[in-house]
Order: sequence, then structure tokens, then C-alpha cells
Amino acid sequence: MNKLKLNYTSLSFLPILVCIPLGYQLINNIHFGGFKLFQEFLISAFKPKIDNEIIIIIINRLNETILIGFFSWLVSIIFGVIFGIISSNIFYKIFNIPNFFYRIIRFFLTIIRSIHEVVWGIVLMQIYGINFSIGIIAICIPYIAVNSKVFAEQLETIDYKRFESINQINAPKISSLLTIIWNPMINTFKNFGLYRLECSIRSTVILGLFGIGGIGTSIFLSFQTLNFRELWTYLWSLAILIILSKLIFKKIKFNTTNKILSIFFVAVFFIIILFSFLYFLYFIFNNNFENFNSVSSLFKSGSDLGLFDFLKLIYETIILSLLSTGIAISLPPLVIGIFNNNTSKFFIKIFAFLIRLIPTPVILLILLTFNNPSLSLAALTLGLHNAGITSKLLFTNLESQDRRNYIAMKSLGISKKTSWLLGLFSQQAKSYLAYCAYRSDIIIRETAIVGIIGSVGLGWQLQESLSSFAWQEVTIVLTTYSFIAIVGELINGKIKNSLT
Amino acid sequence: MNNTLLELKNISYKYKNNLILKKINLKINSGEKIALLGKSGSGKTTLISVLNGTIKPTQGEVKLFNKSFEELDRKQKNKITTIWQDLRLIEDLSAEQNVNCGLLAENNFYFAFKNLLNISSFEKAHKYMQLCRLHNSLYDKKIRNLSGGQKKRVAIARSLIQGSNILLADEPFNNLDPKLIRIIKSLLLENVDKNNTKKSPKTALVALHRLDLLKDFDKVIGIRDGKIFFNIKRTSLKKLHLDKIY
Repeated sequence: MNKLKLNYTSLSFLPILVCIPLGYQLINNIHFGGFKLFQEFLISAFKPKIDNEIIIIIINRLNETILIGFFSWLVSIIFGVIFGIISSNIFYKIFNIPNFFYRIIRFFLTIIRSIHEVVWGIVLMQIYGINFSIGIIAICIPYIAVNSKVFAEQLETIDYKRFESINQINAPKISSLLTIIWNPMINTFKNFGLYRLECSIRSTVILGLFGIGGIGTSIFLSFQTLNFRELWTYLWSLAILIILSKLIFKKIKFNTTNKILSIFFVAVFFIIILFSFLYFLYFIFNNNFENFNSVSSLFKSGSDLGLFDFLKLIYETIILSLLSTGIAISLPPLVIGIFNNNTSKFFIKIFAFLIRLIPTPVILLILLTFNNPSLSLAALTLGLHNAGITSKLLFTNLESQDRRNYIAMKSLGISKKTSWLLGLFSQQAKSYLAYCAYRSDIIIRETAIVGIIGSVGLGWQLQESLSSFAWQEVTIVLTTYSFIAIVGELINGKIKNSLT
Repeated sequence: MNNTLLELKNISYKYKNNLILKKINLKINSGEKIALLGKSGSGKTTLISVLNGTIKPTQGEVKLFNKSFEELDRKQKNKITTIWQDLRLIEDLSAEQNVNCGLLAENNFYFAFKNLLNISSFEKAHKYMQLCRLHNSLYDKKIRNLSGGQKKRVAIARSLIQGSNILLADEPFNNLDPKLIRIIKSLLLENVDKNNTKKSPKTALVALHRLDLLKDFDKVIGIRDGKIFFNIKRTSLKKLHLDKIY
């Protein structure tokens, strides 16, 4: 018998096996009480509530969402650039600073990045109370660290010879640094930075579900009152906002040779740095630490957490991450491969868009209408949401790919599905898996959100500890989260390196 | 009068257990046009990198104007300019911005900033680009949109604008047609001026492969396996010398 040989294509489909245990538990947990609600939710998508009152609410809520989303994006991009520079090896080479500092900054940023913005938001809300600024700060903290990682990685792709060449001119070091990094920074901003605005808006919506304000809060309130028509009005308005923001950025051409535009961007850059710094000082000195008596309480011993229960929560979090990643990897190629015609693709795209649009806590709450809370349900939610994102990438890559192999295979009489698999997808599988490895880093962090809503894993424990102001437990949970995320990032980094 | 600009004393360079340069002694005097001959992998590029201070030798001392490299300040180190074999231009910047990079050493950070924003003066850059026979329609073209020969001339303009005393060039004639070779050779050698009156280099050291290009040089250095086999006047060069290095 021939040995089973795994290649990138088969590895992209293999994780779908997670659906066997997942499906088993989901079927066992099914209940029929909420099917009517679910049906109502689906129907409401086609007849959202539209009247003067709701339009005014939408305008106000979207204003808040845009303000939080835009400012957190702007600040996180600018500080992401700064931290990206000081956490890239090129900075240390030019200024002859020991690599020790580079490692410390990177480690510090990794820890900050490992905790999801929602977790930062909830923790800050517990400390400062509900506050508009919390939204911006909560998004900025992990986003600065994420952006800095991307900018630093781009700077590290700079050809070392180019660095030598500029260095040999013996210019002031700051001039050499600026000349070398200028264009990689601009290109990263164009390719990655603009996309982060969409992420920032999505994060604002999710934070809104936890009470920070904006359209997210309205979505949550309408769900709580089971007012699905109103809920869909908010969701569609959010969809319009996201589509509009994409269209605007597509229209704006960042021409770096335009002198006035360049000066404008540089001016904005420095104004934002100054403004953020002043605002940060204002925030610190104008807020009461209502529920947070002293920093030392974070490290006090005496937690009520039992070791066995805590290990169980860690186990649940890891399993949740693995199951969700499995769905996010395999579901898109499987569905696109099976339903490989233009009509099906159109509907898959619509479904993927909706599943990206609806915040994960709302998806989970909807699924809870006909299924009991369980690890499988949380995994399905997180997996589906991320499959929406991975499918978008897969569609984009497949559509821009050379189709000659696919056409040649079809002309040989090979079936459409097989031609798609071998002629199109197989060429994308490697880069697709590399992206999925990056995505799984995000999934680990997102387990916190579904955990809070779905009573699973460390996310649930975090919510419990925060509600009872058990700061020492919060510290333990956050440290553990951080540890899991860092280990996950290291493993995924190895996988990514082997794939790229 | 001692007119030595650059001096290597007992230089060795080791990389990953391989001795690339072996106890090299060399003096480069003002007004000399030196050809550096040797097979691929003989150590020519490494020697140029040691001469311009890009790599530190494992052993020995490099002296510029009778001072060791460590004693020199930034502006003194700028007295050496290099045209690399792979040019090392910044692909995303325009030709004129790249040439202006040669002025970074004599200007402050604000100049670098203005150059990147495209709002600095390009007057001097254009003068050198004209000298290198680059048509003005190419000034604002990005490097990636230029041909190989045009890129080479941009790299030469970037080096000449530095107003350095010593010009080092690593195989600048590779992959060029005869007309371009003539142009580039004249750019590199005709401007060599012992007294540096026109702010052009006082001396030039050019690594090359083609023996038919030797006639404009005064001195020839032969290198093989990291060792200098001969350092003689061009007129004294014999087949016997070449047999030693090829």
C-alpha cells in the first residue's frame, strides 16, 4: 500500500477533521426552543427597521464609532511606526546600540500584543469606569504593538547592502536611518496601515458590545431586547461604513512625490504625537482609580482559583484555539472547491462578508438560541468568523492568479473541481497556510471574547474575576493568556518561516 | 613630500574560518589611477570594502591621511567614495534623490528629510547628472524604471557629488556595451585630478576583469587568493604577471 504523503494542498484540508468531534457535541447540545428566534433573526435581515428615530441614533452611534475607530487607528499607526523603528535591527545597526535593548523592547511589545483589545478594554473599564477614552486607549495598546511588529518586519527585509551603501557615505546617523527606512515605511503604510482602519472600526464595534459606546452598544442592546429588525439596521449601517471607508481609501492615491501632500502628512504625524502625549497626561491626571486601590493588589497572593480548575481552563482555551483554527483553515477551500460556480461563489462571498461583519459575540449569542453553551459552540463561532476572513484572502489570491494551468487541465477533460484543486488552489496552498498561521495568532487572542460570552476557557474566568474585583486572579489569568499567546506566536512563527 | 592618501598595513580578513585577505600591504598615492586585477573570488570586493571602512580587518591597520580609521571623524571618512558592483541605489527613490544622497554627509538631518519629501534643491545633483550624461527627462524617474547603464551613471553621479579624494569602483564595466564602457571610463578616470581643484577625486582604484581597458591606468595591482601578487606601473605589466593571477 502506498504511504500517505502530505503536501500543502492536503494540509489545507486536513484540519476539517476537527468538525467530527465538534459536530458530535453540537448535535448533542441542540435544543429547539430558540429556532423561532433564529428564524426571526434571519428574516429581519431583509426588513430592517427604518424610521427617523433610528436614523438619528445610527448617525450618533456611527459618529462615536468613527471617532473611536479613526483616532485609535491614527494614533496606533503613528506610534506603531515609531516602535517599529526602535524594534527593528536596522536601528541598532546604524546607532551601534547593543542588541540587548532590541530584545527587551520586542519582548515588551509581544506581551502587550498577546492580550486582546477587548480584554484591555474590560480591564481599563473596571479601573477607570466607562469612559469614551477607554475605547481609544484599549484599541491603541495592542494595535501599537501589532503595527510595530509589522513595520519592524518590513524594515528587516531591507537589503543589508543598501544599508552599507548609505552608511558608507558617512552621513549623520539619523539621516542614514531616515533615507533607508522612508520608502519601506510608506509602502507598509499603503499596504497594511490603511487596512488597519477597518480592523480598528471592527474592534470599536466589539468594544461597544461591552459598553464602551458606538454602534456596538446599540447592536448589543437591540439583541438583548430581541429587536432583530433594529439589530439589522445597525449591522447594515455598519456594513455601509466599512464599504465606504474601503472605497475612500481606494480613491485616495498616496503620491509620495506630491510635495504639499508629503508636508501635510509629516505635519499630521508630529501633531498627533504631541496631541496623544498631552491627551495621555490629561487622562492620567483627570481620572479616579475608582476600583483599583493600588497596583500592588495586582500581585497579592490568596487567589481562590483551584489549580485543577485553572488547568482545565487553560486546556479549554488551547482546544478552543485549535478547533477554531481548524475551521478557519479548511472551511474556505472546501466550500469554494465544492461549490465552484459563479452563483455559488457570489453567495459564499455574501455569507463571508456577513460573518466578518457580525461581531463574534453576536454570532455566538445567535447560535446560543438553539444550542447549549459549550466549547464546540464557541469554537464554531470563532472558526466561522475567521473563516470569513481567510476566505476573503483566498478569493482575492485565486482571482489574481494565472489561470492557464486550470484552463489546460479542464481542456484535458479533467473535472472542474479537480482542475480547481490542482490547477488553482495547489499553487496558493503554501501562501494560504502561511497566512493561516498568522491568523491563528489572532484566534488565540480572540478566544478571550468568545470565552467571556460563551462561558469557556480563560475568557470566562477573566470576566468572573473582574466582576468580583479579584485583581490577583486577573493578574494570573492575564499572565497565563499572555504566555499561551506568546508560545502560540513562537510556534506559528516557526510554521510561517518554514512556509515562506 | 608624502602624498599617500590611503595605506594598508599587514591587513588580513577572516570570514567563517576562511582567510579572504592575507597580510596585505598597500599604499595609494594622490593622482594615481589604479587598476585592481584578479579572478572572481580573489578578494577584490573584500579589499575595496576594507579600503572604504565597510568591513573591519581581522588583523592590521588601515590609515587614511596618516590616521587610523578609528581616529577619523565622520566628514574625514567621507573622503572615500565607492561605486559598488551591484550599485546599491535606493530603488524607490528618484534618480535625483539618489544622487542627492551623496550630499548627506555634508548636510544635516533636515536636508535628508527635505530630500525624501522631494523639496530639497537638486541643482547640484543635476549638474553631476549632466556630467554623467544623464538626460534631464530621467532626473525624476524612479531607479527601478531606469536601464542598467543609466543606473550605473546615477551611481557614478552619486559618488562624484561627494567630492571625495579617493574613488573606489568595483567592476563598473560589467555587462555594458562598448559605448557605455567608454563613457563610464572617461567619467571615472578623466576627472581624476591630483590637486583636487575641481573637487573631483585625487585618485581612483578600479577593480576590473577586462585587460583591454587597462591602457588609461598608471598602476596595476594583481590579487589572487587574497594576496597581492604584484603592484607595478602599467607600462611594466607583462604576460608573466598576468599568468600569476589568472
